[in-house]
Amino acid sequence: MPALSILIWLPLACGLLGALAARRNERIPGIVALLGCTGALGLAIAYLIQYGPGSSGLKDVTDVVWISELGIHYKLGLSGLNVALVGLTALLFFAAILASNLRSWERPRLFYFHMMLAESAVLGAFLAQDLALFVAFFDLMLIPFYFLIGGWGTGPDRVKATIKLVIYTLVGSLLMLAAAIATGVLAGSQHGQHITFVLSALQGLPLSRGSQEWIFLFFAAAFLVKMPAFPLHGWMPDGYRAMPIEVLMVFSGVLSKVGAYGFLAIVLPLFPQASAHFQTLMLVIALLSILYGSAVAFTQTDARLIAGYSSVAQLGFITFGIFALDPQGAQGALLQMVNHGLVVAPIFFIIALLAARSGGSEDIRDMGGIALRAPVLAVAFLIVALATLAMPGSANFVGEFLILLGVFKAKLALAIIAFAGVVAASVYALRLFIRSMHNRVGSGVRSREMTLTDGAVLVPVLAVIVLLAFYPQGLLKRSEASVGASVSAAHIALTEPPQTLATAEEP
Amino acid sequence: MSTTTYGWLVLAFPLLGTIAIGAGFKRLPGRSAGWIGTGTIFLAFLASLGALISLQGHAADHRQLTSSLWSYASTAGIDAQLSILVDPLSVFMILVVTGVSTAIHLYSVSYLDSDRGFVRFFAYLNFFVFSMLLLVLAGNFVLLIVGWAFVTLASYLLISFWYRRTTATAAGIKSFVINVVGDVGLVLGTFFIFKHTDTLDFLKTFSAAPHVFTSGEGDLTAGCILLLVGAFAKSAQIPLHTWLPDAMEGPTPVSALIHAATMVTAGVYLIARMHPLFELAPAAQDTGAVVGALTLLIAATIAVTQTDIKRVIAYSTMSQIGYMIMGVSVGAYAAGLFHLMTHAFFKALLFMAAGSIIGAMAGEQSLDRMKGFRRAMPFTFASFLIGGLALSGIPPFSGFFSKDEILLVTGELGGWHWALYVVGYIGAFLTAIYTFRMIFRAFFGDPVAEARELEAGHLHHAEQPTNPATGEVEDTDVGFPGPAHAIAERALPMRVAMGLLALGAVGAGLIQIPKVDFVIDDFLRPTFAGSALYEPHTRNGLLVFGLILGTLLGLSGIAIAWRVWVARPGIAPALRERFAGAYGLFVNKWYFDELIDALVVRPAAAVGRFASNTFERAFVEGTLVGGTTQIVRAASASVRGAQTGLLRYYAALLVLGVSGLGLYFLLQT
Repeated sequence: MPALSILIWLPLACGLLGALAARRNERIPGIVALLGCTGALGLAIAYLIQYGPGSSGLKDVTDVVWISELGIHYKLGLSGLNVALVGLTALLFFAAILASNLRSWERPRLFYFHMMLAESAVLGAFLAQDLALFVAFFDLMLIPFYFLIGGWGTGPDRVKATIKLVIYTLVGSLLMLAAAIATGVLAGSQHGQHITFVLSALQGLPLSRGSQEWIFLFFAAAFLVKMPAFPLHGWMPDGYRAMPIEVLMVFSGVLSKVGAYGFLAIVLPLFPQASAHFQTLMLVIALLSILYGSAVAFTQTDARLIAGYSSVAQLGFITFGIFALDPQGAQGALLQMVNHGLVVAPIFFIIALLAARSGGSEDIRDMGGIALRAPVLAVAFLIVALATLAMPGSANFVGEFLILLGVFKAKLALAIIAFAGVVAASVYALRLFIRSMHNRVGSGVRSREMTLTDGAVLVPVLAVIVLLAFYPQGLLKRSEASVGASVSAAHIALTEPPQTLATAEEP
Repeated sequence: MSTTTYGWLVLAFPLLGTIAIGAGFKRLPGRSAGWIGTGTIFLAFLASLGALISLQGHAADHRQLTSSLWSYASTAGIDAQLSILVDPLSVFMILVVTGVSTAIHLYSVSYLDSDRGFVRFFAYLNFFVFSMLLLVLAGNFVLLIVGWAFVTLASYLLISFWYRRTTATAAGIKSFVINVVGDVGLVLGTFFIFKHTDTLDFLKTFSAAPHVFTSGEGDLTAGCILLLVGAFAKSAQIPLHTWLPDAMEGPTPVSALIHAATMVTAGVYLIARMHPLFELAPAAQDTGAVVGALTLLIAATIAVTQTDIKRVIAYSTMSQIGYMIMGVSVGAYAAGLFHLMTHAFFKALLFMAAGSIIGAMAGEQSLDRMKGFRRAMPFTFASFLIGGLALSGIPPFSGFFSKDEILLVTGELGGWHWALYVVGYIGAFLTAIYTFRMIFRAFFGDPVAEARELEAGHLHHAEQPTNPATGEVEDTDVGFPGPAHAIAERALPMRVAMGLLALGAVGAGLIQIPKVDFVIDDFLRPTFAGSALYEPHTRNGLLVFGLILGTLLGLSGIAIAWRVWVARPGIAPALRERFAGAYGLFVNKWYFDELIDALVVRPAAAVGRFASNTFERAFVEGTLVGGTTQIVRAASASVRGAQTGLLRYYAALLVLGVSGLGLYFLLQT
């Protein structure tokens, strides 16, 4: 297999190429970007095949010393934790770039450059096996989105939205940066070794319990903002309203997963005792996100915000599963990350199609009765809506089942309350579907079937949803070993009595 | 072919039918979608027969066969396979489901003939049959839940089939959400059981249960009661029943198939399937029995006062399923399932006949407007009468034998179960009254205009159909019965379908006559081999007493109905006034809708509104975001403005932060 660096940097290279090459033709940057995405998607599929069921550990490792004085490596590797997310990223960027090509943009060279930079950064964040490198990619991936919202956003509030997003994510990033530096420095000093940021090395140098706890909180704040989780979701409504739909597809589908991935790949293995210590806190935050996101989602009338708040609830479920600190919950959470990305991107795309049929309005009060003249679109929307509400038979259900089973064993009462979110999901997802597709025809509605090019955007994603519905095992078996390894330390910290830990950590 | 291959075939045919009809929805000519649908279901019925014959070829203690296609979700201690379980219970269920479905598909070919949603209807209907078969064939909890939810979905799609009717979409989402509550019960119940058994497979769970659970253990009781929540939601038992009457918004064949014969019996199947667990959890068994008994009584009282003919039959369905739930909860498994089968025949028949009247009335469903259809629709009348006699438990019609057997087993248990026995017979009395109230009001008396026109050979139809609930003009674009309702008198497929079901309603009881033959008992015995409750019943005195009592109550119910609605029509208003309190309670359906609305719907909506309008705006956007925004604005007034300014600011802060933190840690170490 080619090196992972090629996968990561191919999109950016295409973005640059498109920006430089196309002085005259405004369509070239989009086409070059699409080629780059297709290439990345092909590579991601090849990696998915290569990292087959039952695989374990890191594969295709690239390890180069980057800054030797600080012990920072340019280390990339494929594991069960990231292989499916890399596939998701490549697929959703492919769909989003394809969708972007369906219309013309102002300053297309810059637009596609930013989109491609974002893809490279996200892929890098997922594949980084060095804490400092992860932080670098994490921060890098936010920058193009600031420009994408500020430069190509819609609505009067886009400047306000950009500022909000910058502030929130900046605070999160700074906290994470501080925490990452502290992790490397303290791990080295507490064990009398040279400073390092390589994840596998850090796992062998557990921090003292006290350090773990405050570092955990810093990381948690950064990831929870990114997801977003209640009550750190303040940037979300304005940000979602302002973003162009094509940008929103990847932003909501992929970026929120980096936060959840960070918990699973970094926080749990490096700070197991702190994870166990703060388990209840994190579960409560997750539960509040589930309940709050659901409650707001079923009272909103802006279709985008229904999807946005439902994401708050869905990411609440993912956090819930991770902090079950148990292989079942974490497996479910990882599967759900993929599932959520797969449903939320098509939902936003479909909302754009619906708005085009109801006089440009994204308010469900202006929609209605669209299904009759657009039966294929209605079926596509129904499939996505059902997957969103985690209909049994979808992979989303398997994810939720595992998540709730994991929490059920850890904290019975919290799991039972979380089931309210399951019921609420059926209300808001079906409400969105019925109010737009069914009922009386809205006054401004001119319904028509979706076009073949619209289909080209939706079909690949829908095909993966259906495929996973029949065979979620395909992903579960790939991630089983890595997830087990990632959770085990925290799981042990949870079950072992704290006295033995106290003696173990003071050498 | 092996027995389980037949099982997979049973699933494959309806699924292929759905896909074929769905994929060809624009190209299928004429009525071909209907015939494809009917044909695939009939093939599934033949495959079910194959499974039956093949199963009987096995020795009695080897009649529980599983087969797995692939691992569905087997990870981290979970063992969910894509597996089916073929045993006498599941074969019994697939025979009933495919058999009744074939008849109803056939009926629908004519009934929906002029509907513009014809093709869509058959895609949905086939999907429903597939889901129901998946539910009863599932070999583990996960697949059971999948089938369970697919049934919910199919039911939702068919209830809101005429999807531009706001009443239909409202009824659809109501049924979906209540059934999701049931799913939640099922999932949580599974968790409680899985926690101890560490397997999701049915047979492994059942064999492990006696070893890991002691009788009456808390977790098992909790698990079984949660499974009951699922059963109650799907089988429309109190208090999760309110979706069923509203579900009558769907086309009449849907009511016949889904909301009478098959889907609503899923709860009965579930309790029978889970009997090894329920027998270790007596508290759960008692809960099921009491709720079943309450439902059968309450639903019967409501049925006596309703005027919408389909809703009367819907409440009757609730009531009859109450008998079944009570039966399987007290251990009368064979009797409960026997009643499930006979009920499927006569209730589907009643709905079909009602559909025929509704066709003649151009969509009108109120009994107040119907009268005297006896001579205009002789075939429909005969069918309704047969169904009604079977429902009222008049010998030798099928309902007589099956209902009595449930009550006999209940009575034999003695103790407080006598209360259930008495409730059951009160219910039987009320059943005869409301059934013949329908018959006497719809078919007797002076014919209404529609009936007279029909007698003269002309089918009456309104120019512009309106929704009786809202007065809205119907949107006939999406497929609404429109100008040409079908009636059995004029459509051969409808008559064939009704004739077949009438045969079942008359004769199905004869396969299990007390003291004479025990076809159902014997056939199902291998499934219930481990059950202490599955024994032949011995108390002859009670048997004879019950049979006579049932007959007398049925006949006297009919007599009362005759007196009130035929002989002396003035009595009904007088009775209504005299018992105004009870009448108000019954006609308002015991206020369950209002209760759920006040306890669940309105508080949830209020919380949502508070979160959206107050909390989100005032706290999150105002305080948290507004506050931080202002601080930063003040600090960054000089750099703000251009995008590059933002970026420079960001970079500066990063550098500042890094150096500050670096300094801190250097000083600390």
